[in-house]
Amino acid sequence: MSLSTAFNIISSSFAANAAQTAVVSNNIANVNTPGYSREVANLVVNPYGGADAASVTRIANAALAEQVSTSTAQAAAQQAIANGLATLAATVDDSSTTSSTSGADQNGASPSAMLSNLQSALTTYEGSPTSTSAADAAVTAAKTLAQSLNAGDAAVNHLREQADQDMALSVSTINSLLAQFQTANDAVIGGLASGANVATAEDTRDSLITQLAQQIGVTTTTAANGSMSIYTDSGVTLFQDTARTVAFTPTSSYVDGVTGSPVTVDGVPITGSSSLMPIQSGALAGYATLRDTLAPQYQAQLDQIAGGLINAFAEGDQTASSQPLLPGLFTTKGATSVPSTSDAAGLAAAIEVNPSVDPSQGGNATLLRDGGISGNPNYVYNTTGDTSYTARLQQLVSAIGSTQSFDASAGLGTSARLTDYANASVSWLQGENQQTSDASDYQNALITQATSALSNATGVNLDSEMTNMLNLENTYASTAKLLTAVNDMFSALLQAA
Amino acid sequence: MTMNPTFLSTQYLANSLVLPVQQAQLTTAITEESTGQYADLGLQLGDQSGYELSLKEQVQQLQALTTGNSVVATNLSTAQDALTSMSTSAQTTVQDLATWTAGADSGAQLQTIGQTALQELTSSANATSGDAYVFGGINSGAAPLNDYFSTGSKASSAVETAFETAFGCSPTSAAAANITASQMQSFLSGPFADLFSGSNWTSDWSTASSTNTSAEIAPGQTVTTSTNTNSPAFQSLAEAYTMVAAFGGSSLSTSAQQAVASAATSLVSQGQSAVTQTQAALGATQSQVTDANSAMSSQLTLIQTQVGNLDNVDQTATAAKITALTNQIQVAYELTARLQQLNLAQYLPVS
Repeated sequence: MSLSTAFNIISSSFAANAAQTAVVSNNIANVNTPGYSREVANLVVNPYGGADAASVTRIANAALAEQVSTSTAQAAAQQAIANGLATLAATVDDSSTTSSTSGADQNGASPSAMLSNLQSALTTYEGSPTSTSAADAAVTAAKTLAQSLNAGDAAVNHLREQADQDMALSVSTINSLLAQFQTANDAVIGGLASGANVATAEDTRDSLITQLAQQIGVTTTTAANGSMSIYTDSGVTLFQDTARTVAFTPTSSYVDGVTGSPVTVDGVPITGSSSLMPIQSGALAGYATLRDTLAPQYQAQLDQIAGGLINAFAEGDQTASSQPLLPGLFTTKGATSVPSTSDAAGLAAAIEVNPSVDPSQGGNATLLRDGGISGNPNYVYNTTGDTSYTARLQQLVSAIGSTQSFDASAGLGTSARLTDYANASVSWLQGENQQTSDASDYQNALITQATSALSNATGVNLDSEMTNMLNLENTYASTAKLLTAVNDMFSALLQAA
Repeated sequence: MTMNPTFLSTQYLANSLVLPVQQAQLTTAITEESTGQYADLGLQLGDQSGYELSLKEQVQQLQALTTGNSVVATNLSTAQDALTSMSTSAQTTVQDLATWTAGADSGAQLQTIGQTALQELTSSANATSGDAYVFGGINSGAAPLNDYFSTGSKASSAVETAFETAFGCSPTSAAAANITASQMQSFLSGPFADLFSGSNWTSDWSTASSTNTSAEIAPGQTVTTSTNTNSPAFQSLAEAYTMVAAFGGSSLSTSAQQAVASAATSLVSQGQSAVTQTQAALGATQSQVTDANSAMSSQLTLIQTQVGNLDNVDQTATAAKITALTNQIQVAYELTARLQQLNLAQYLPVS
């Protein structure tokens, strides 16, 4: 071995040291970058016996990364649903308050609580049938009930509009992420082919997958050339060499019965009832579930309650001619008959207190006691005009509490007392709210765990990088000493000659 | 928390002591401690929400019934008071009629007894509670018993017509003196008595509805809460007082006057016992109302306890939870500061 070989070794040692220092610097620079995978320089012995930095390995953990992306998608879906349901649940908030005016217990804002208020107002009126103020109070309670149904229906429509807008936003985010993914993916393929360091591009790709998982549940596969393909959790291809087009036509205004358009990938629907491969997770799936399933179901329940009210308060013909029932206290504009349970769509939005019984619209509140709200004299119950007539009020109170039939499509059974049905609707909503909120908490805990695990598996430890740095400093110092020694030997040799 | 025992990333170490969940729990616990109720009742109860609402609905219904019962109770005691004064008045009238002696005392005196009694009856029968006439049945908006002494009284002219039809003369004419006691008796028990029953009564005397008011005093328990002036008590008393008031001061013979007084005495006694029966019936209703109120009151307490069990947090447990969470978060803050010091860079010499 010659002295010049020693020089070569020293030279490669400096080079290897520089490469390792670069890796350490890179790691330290990214110590707080989420999703960054730490790098390690691989040293090999070179033909002279020295060391070369042959390559840089990116410490990745595909299994943990997938767990993070799956739980992110699940959590995002549950969170989207929980947020939506929370806005609906606010309309049925039943925290007890005591009315400042009457001193009676009020049970919050739900249609169910308003129905209970109406029932007790009618009972009070029944106790003092001569009191016009009791009559007015009962009509006011009825108006509040109608308004709470109107408001509930409006909240559902607003929620669906909001969900539709969120879906549009989500779709545009997905398209933008897929375009960025294409750039990163091309960089990986190109880099691998040319032998360049592709760690940064791979980090970008992983980070994009996590962001994508926020919006839509995805699975990935990697081909031999390093190209990654992305599929939805239902198996529809989102990216394979090129990004697929995710399309969505927003619907700006929702009323009862309007169906929103589905999200499609290359024309294949991935949300909605027409989809054969509906996505299961991600915020997009959550918005779609809210818009297409949960909100319409709650709306159907409100419609059934409204229909039940119109029927419970309907007036019968009091003469021998037995004409069909007419809407009484509760009606819809221009209604000339009572609705059937299967024809309830839109009633929650349209229900109102009949103007003929509403003093604020020039009506007469005592018609509640006497009947004839529909305006047809044959439907007057108190034919003699007695001021303490209570038979009709007793009928009304018991009608609220008697069993009615409801349409099965609203999901709360087909036969129930009106009050129980209204309560069941609140139970349904709060039950869904509670379940989703619990599921969201659970998924968030999973994300924290998976993210910690991934961070520990692939992240940077500052102390360990510092230790490496000290090592490298020492190596550098030793190599420099070695260089001086070899140089001295050369000088001695040359002087001797 | 999952961790790799041999390698921890610096990022994990830095974030491991951030406790968003505990901080959120602390906020919730503080709200719950101050209100005594769950912070988000709907989220807490979930599908129990409907059950809780149905309990509250029962509370509200029972409260409304209790309020209604106070109106019913007031009406009933007004009716009882009026019936009591009717009874007292009847008692006095019987005594006055017994004291009055035909021949020795004048017919005008007899007439005054009848007039006073009839006025008292009219006033009692038209007793009101709030804006309702308590003896009007369901037609509580109009005074149920017409005033016999008002001008143009249908009852008054019907009595005169009946007399003239029977005897061919008016009670005050001289010819009336020829009417015998037995003729008078058969008139009183015949054409005159007919004026105080059936359609004659409802057209001339009473505007009340024969349908009594009824009220639901407890869930599913509806009771009749009044009587009306179409009942025998009012009819008998009105008949007795009217015959004395109408024929007492007339030109009748002493024996015929005596016949009027005797007939009236027996009718007043009948009427008085009918009043007593009515009072007993209303008294039974009053005790039903009282019983219903006390039953509903204990039911209310029971249901409100149930609602409380659903809605309310355990204050002691919440206070303990707040202390524990505060301690935990404080410790986390301290440890975070210390972990920041455990950094190799702090210990390396700067060259």
